[in-house]
Amino acid sequence: MSDPLSKQATASEIASAVMSGKVKAAAVVEAALTRIETSEARVNAFTDVVADRARKRAGEIDAGLHRGPLAGVPFAVKNLFDIKGLPTRAGSKINCDGPKAPRDGSLIRKLEAAGAILVGGLNMGEYAYDFTGENAHYGPSRNPHDPTRMTGGSSGGSGAAVASGEVPLALGSDTNGSIRVPSSLCGLFGLKPTYGRLSRAGSFPFVDAFDHLGPLARSVADLALSFDTMQGWDPDDPVCTDRAEEPTSTELGQGIGGLRIVVAGDYFERGAESQALEAVATVAKALGASKTIVIPQAAAARSAAYIITAIEGSQLHLPRLRARPQDFDPDTRERFMAGALLPGAWYVKAQRFRRHYRAAVQKLFGEVDIILAPATPCTAPKIGQVMMKLGGVELPVRANLGLYTQPISFIGLPVVVAPLQRPGGLPIGVQIIANHYNEAAALRVARHLEKQGVASAPPA
Amino acid sequence: MADEKPDIARLVDEAAKAIGLAIAPEYRANVLVNYERSLAIAQPLLEVELDDELTPAPVFRP
Repeated sequence: MSDPLSKQATASEIASAVMSGKVKAAAVVEAALTRIETSEARVNAFTDVVADRARKRAGEIDAGLHRGPLAGVPFAVKNLFDIKGLPTRAGSKINCDGPKAPRDGSLIRKLEAAGAILVGGLNMGEYAYDFTGENAHYGPSRNPHDPTRMTGGSSGGSGAAVASGEVPLALGSDTNGSIRVPSSLCGLFGLKPTYGRLSRAGSFPFVDAFDHLGPLARSVADLALSFDTMQGWDPDDPVCTDRAEEPTSTELGQGIGGLRIVVAGDYFERGAESQALEAVATVAKALGASKTIVIPQAAAARSAAYIITAIEGSQLHLPRLRARPQDFDPDTRERFMAGALLPGAWYVKAQRFRRHYRAAVQKLFGEVDIILAPATPCTAPKIGQVMMKLGGVELPVRANLGLYTQPISFIGLPVVVAPLQRPGGLPIGVQIIANHYNEAAALRVARHLEKQGVASAPPA
Repeated sequence: MADEKPDIARLVDEAAKAIGLAIAPEYRANVLVNYERSLAIAQPLLEVELDDELTPAPVFRP
C-alpha cells in the first residue's frame, strides 16, 4: 500500500484512505498540485490546471459532500473534454478563440459525482489526428521514462501525467489507438472500451465512426473502478449504448479460468520490432496461450480505418482549413487537406467493408475469448523523429505507430493495454482484445498478469 | 488504362478548386505527399471485393 500522498499511490488506494478518514482530500489535491508544478518542466503534460476549482471540490469532499468510490482522487482529462469555463482546445490554437464550455463533459461529471477531483486539462496532438504526442502550439508531451522520447498520442498528456505520477488517473480518447499507443509507450494500463459503451457527450469530436473515450491508470483496479463509474446510457451521445451497466471491478478476482486466449498472428507479427513481439510472447506464456489465429483481412481493416478517419476528420475541419490554415499545426494541416480531397467512393467502401470485417471477427469470437496483439510496433521513438524502420522498411512514424491498434478500434472491440517493464529499456504494451461489451474479460486477464508480476507500470 | 499512374498533382489541384479549398504554395508539396501516402495505404481496401448485398454498418435511427 503506497502513501496516499505519494506519486505512486493508485486511485483505489487514495479513495480508500480518504473514505476511511486516514487522509484529507485537500491534502491529496495539494500533493497532486505540487507534483504538477515540479514535473511540468520535464513532461509538459498539462495545458490547464484548475487549482482553485480542485481545492474547492476537495473542501466539499472533506465536508462530507460527494462521497463515493473515487473520493478525493485527483484526475485530469485530455483537453478535448469540455471543462466548464475553459475553451475546449482539442490540442488546437483555433479552438481557443471559441466559446468557453458551459459545463463539464459527461464523463467528468460522472467521475466527480463519485468523489473524484478534476485538476486540469492535458496536452494532446492537434484535433487528435496524431500518434506521437507532439504539438506545435503547446510543445510535445514528454515521456517520463525518457523526456527526449515521445509519449505517443494523441492522448500524450494523459500518458505523461499518469506515468510521471502527477495524477493517478487520466481520461483520453481513442479513435485509432490514441489511448493504447501512449499507454504502451509510457508503460500504463489503458482501457479503450467497446464503441458506444461510454458517453462522448461534451468532448470535441474527431471521427464519429470510431471515437471512444476511456481511462489510463497505473493499476487494473483503477481502470475497472473508473470504467464502472463512467458507464451508463447518455441521451446526449446518440452512439451511447442503452445496455444495462456491467460492473467489472467485482469480476477482477475471477482469474483467467475458462477464458480461451490466443495470439494474433500474420498481420500482427509483421513489421513489429523484437521488443513488441517479445512482450506478446511473455504475456502469452504467462497466460498459457499457445495457439495463434489469423484475424482475416486485418491489413484491409487498417486501410479502411485510415480512409474513414482521413475523410471524416477532414470534413469536420474543412471550414477551418479554408478560413485559418495558417493556425493549424503543420503536422496535421496538410494531412487534413489531403483527406478532404479523397474520393467519397472510398469512404463508402470502407464502411461496407467494416460490416463484412465485423462479421468475420465476430465469428472468430465464437471460438476464442481473448486475442493478444502488440499495442505498438516499437518502444517510444525520439521526439521529432519522422521516419522509423519496421521490419527493415523505412516508414513514417506518425502513420505507423497505430499499425496494430487501428484494425481493432475499426470495429469497436474493447481492449486493455497491459504494460511490460523492460529492465534497462523502455516499457511497451500488449493489447488484450475481447469481444464487444466484454471489457470484464480483458480486465480479468490484465489483472491476472498484474498479480503474477508480468504486467506493471514502471515506478512513477 | 487502369495501370496508368494518376497525375496526383493535377488531381489535388483540381479537386481542391472544386471544393473551394485554397492550398497555399508552401503547403502544396506536403499535401501531395500525404495524398500519395493515402493512396498507398488505401490499396488493401481497394483490392477487396464486396458482395452487392453488403451495405454499410452505420444505422440511422429516426
